Amino acid sequence: MLLAVLVPLVGGCSSSGNKPSGTVAPIVERDFKIRAQRYELPAGKVDLSVKNDGPDAHELIVVRETDSSLPMRKDGLTVDEDAIQKQTQGALEPGQPGGERHLKLHLAPGRYLLLCNMSGHYLGGMHAELVVS
Amino acid sequence: MLRRGHRFAPFDSRGRFTIAAILITFTAFSAISVFLSIRTTQHSQHRAAVLQVAARQRAIAERYVNEILFVSSGGSADPSATGSYLTESADALLDGGEAPALPGDDDESGLPAQHGKVIRAQLTQELRLAHDLTATGQAILKHRPAGSVPLTAGEDIAALDPVVRLRVLAALTANTSLNASRAIASANDRGISHLITIQVLLGVAGLLTSLLLAFALIAATRRQTAHFRSLVTASTDLVLVFGRGGCRYASRAVIEMVDRPEQELLGDGLSEFVHPEDLGLLRTTCEHGEPAEIVFRMRNRHGEWRQLDAHVTDLRGNRQLRGVVLNARDVTERMRLEEELTRQAFHDGLTNLANRALFRDRLDQALARSTRTHEPLAVLLLDLDGFKQVNDTLGHDAGDKLLRAVAERFAGAVRPSDTLARLGGDEFAVLLDPASETEAEEVARRLNQAAGEPLVLAERELSVGASIGIVAHPGGPADGDDLIRHADIAMYAAKDAGRGHHQVFRYDMALEFGELMALEGELRAAVENGELCLHYQPEIEVESRRVVGVEALLRWQSDTRGNVPPSDFIPIAEATGLILPLGDFVLREACTQAAAWLSEGLIDESFVMWVNISAKQLAAGRVGTAVDQALSATGLAPNFLGLEVTETAIVPDGSAGERAREELQMLHDRGVHIAIDDFGTGFSSLGQLRHFPIDMIKVDRSFVQGVDHDAKDAAITANIVTLAHALGLVAIAEGIESDGQLASIRDLGCDLAQGFLFARPRPADEVRLVLAEGSCSPDDERDPAAA
Repeated sequence: MLLAVLVPLVGGCSSSGNKPSGTVAPIVERDFKIRAQRYELPAGKVDLSVKNDGPDAHELIVVRETDSSLPMRKDGLTVDEDAIQKQTQGALEPGQPGGERHLKLHLAPGRYLLLCNMSGHYLGGMHAELVVS
Repeated sequence: MLRRGHRFAPFDSRGRFTIAAILITFTAFSAISVFLSIRTTQHSQHRAAVLQVAARQRAIAERYVNEILFVSSGGSADPSATGSYLTESADALLDGGEAPALPGDDDESGLPAQHGKVIRAQLTQELRLAHDLTATGQAILKHRPAGSVPLTAGEDIAALDPVVRLRVLAALTANTSLNASRAIASANDRGISHLITIQVLLGVAGLLTSLLLAFALIAATRRQTAHFRSLVTASTDLVLVFGRGGCRYASRAVIEMVDRPEQELLGDGLSEFVHPEDLGLLRTTCEHGEPAEIVFRMRNRHGEWRQLDAHVTDLRGNRQLRGVVLNARDVTERMRLEEELTRQAFHDGLTNLANRALFRDRLDQALARSTRTHEPLAVLLLDLDGFKQVNDTLGHDAGDKLLRAVAERFAGAVRPSDTLARLGGDEFAVLLDPASETEAEEVARRLNQAAGEPLVLAERELSVGASIGIVAHPGGPADGDDLIRHADIAMYAAKDAGRGHHQVFRYDMALEFGELMALEGELRAAVENGELCLHYQPEIEVESRRVVGVEALLRWQSDTRGNVPPSDFIPIAEATGLILPLGDFVLREACTQAAAWLSEGLIDESFVMWVNISAKQLAAGRVGTAVDQALSATGLAPNFLGLEVTETAIVPDGSAGERAREELQMLHDRGVHIAIDDFGTGFSSLGQLRHFPIDMIKVDRSFVQGVDHDAKDAAITANIVTLAHALGLVAIAEGIESDGQLASIRDLGCDLAQGFLFARPRPADEVRLVLAEGSCSPDDERDPAAA
């Protein structure tokens, strides 16, 4: 009887405490692709749940797209993050394979590019577009 | 029963086991730690090689791209070889093996296979990228479309320019290799961290285990020490340790014994309590560590000297002790007991004088000394005169008192250095060492004088004498047995000389003594050879001269000696115990003879066959049995038999006298007559006579002999006769040898008479003639053997 009473109470608290503050968007990174469960999201608070399936370490940078393409560094292999600093909505540092991290953003309507800027990864195919409306 | 778990084993090897366990624990933990360190170091070395190769991949990938571009622009290089280095290294990184050395660079590196899931996945990806890179490079060199190269690592680079594509692949390869090397380095760091953790844990565990074992060892050592301390402190043994400077340790038993604090006993303090005569022995022993056993005296808290038996252990070489240990035990009581037992073994319990064993020992010692020094010595043997009568009439208690009193007096008559002993009974011995014959005789006189002084016993004033035999040894070797035997002979000679005499042994006495010994042997043979027979002396009724009885008298007709008088052999028979079978013989023969005369009609109902019963027979308690056997064997009625006993045989106090009286009463009740023989010579109280079953009193011949001319004898005889008549008894006078004596006793009213005047003791055949006549005429023939 006591257990029956406690379980709903605990469940209620957990549900309330974990309730996402915005839209949760699962993202999977894998050599050398970025996959999203949903590529269109409502504007507002967004919780990007980023899971790295490896095998390499990956980072995630969210950049609002503009009309021009992303500028590259002189090595020609990585995006010049300094140049797109204003467009950058948020970033996750390189994460080890198997890990899952969250990047919480407040996204206005628009188009956003998700990319991994580790050497060669962006050009190797690790980018995806997200539409917020 | 002790439980095994509680067994006290202070000497077990628990301590050694514990120390060994500590060492084994340290060794085991250290070995594990070293092993782990070596393994981890090896791993680290391997990982360092891996990291080196992994880091090198980036440079090789870039070099490969540069060589492709260089060759494409017309330059000369060998990108294929570089590509091979890249893929072979990637392969070695993944599955282990030799990573090739770059030309002019480093040596080949042996690499272990990687096992971590993430690392293997990264290295696999690197290998794929390396293959994609080299395949793309080969396509460019061979001018084939780069897009025709199949990609295996998931990269999406189809839209890129071939050169960019090549550079991207190189970057991906380098980046993957770099990340893999980071993962490997991280794993190595974790391994080292784990090693440090494990080593810390091992160290802590080893330290704790060792501490536990050490504590266990300390506890065991303390228990062991406590055990030994308890053993020493609780033991009743006195433990003393001596070293330089005197006593260094005194156990609790010592402290309690002297009731002083230990500090006062240490050093030379103990000397105050050690007997001065034993102090030298103790100091010498403690100085040299020997002898192994000593006995010394210590004064206890009450001021008593206690005998301590100490076991000495020399532990001066022991580094822990460096001293001499004395484990002592108080043996005072034991030594007293031993002394008492020794005293009892060598002293007479009644008089506390030396006994025969001690006397003999002293004599042997004196003779040994005399053999060396040729000094004279003397042995005196003393036999109390009249002691037997005192013992028989006044009882053994009085006899014992007499012996103690005489012993004290004797002790006062000899020198302290002389040995005075009681050999048994009333026989004493004195060893005078040294002493001349003259001195010995002087001592004998003093002894006799001491013995003769009046003594009050049982409210009577008595005086005893001593017959003393002296053997004077002039000095030199001699045999102790010979001296004692010669003194014995001299003592008998002194007895023969009369009361209170002493005699010095002469060799002619030995001949006489030897005669007596020979007589005993022959008497024993005579009993078996039938050389003994009975003679009979008639007893006459004074008035009618009628024979009313006979006294049976034992005679010994020896084949070699002829007629041996009773005065010669009866004492020997009594002394040797032969009197008992002789008494049985007399009873049986007398009853047989009386039965024969009765069957012949020579005697009537008034006739009594009188048989003498000795004190020894009565004391043996076998008279009743012997009489029964004699009467039943012959069919003689009890009233034909009479027993003559002396006063001294029936009046002694104690169980012997009581048994004699009961036995006589029983016989008297059955009709056997009882007569008191030699009446008047004993010490018995006349009043006691009424308690005895007596029919007749025989007036001793010593009174009868003077009855006709000595007023005192006549008065005594008259009183005895009157007493007998007053008690309703018959009076008979023995030893009537003259008509005057006969007339006197007749005038005094004596009923019966016996003596040579009527008939001397005669064989049965001759007596038969007298009986046939019925009366007896005076007979002047005297026979001294009738005594």
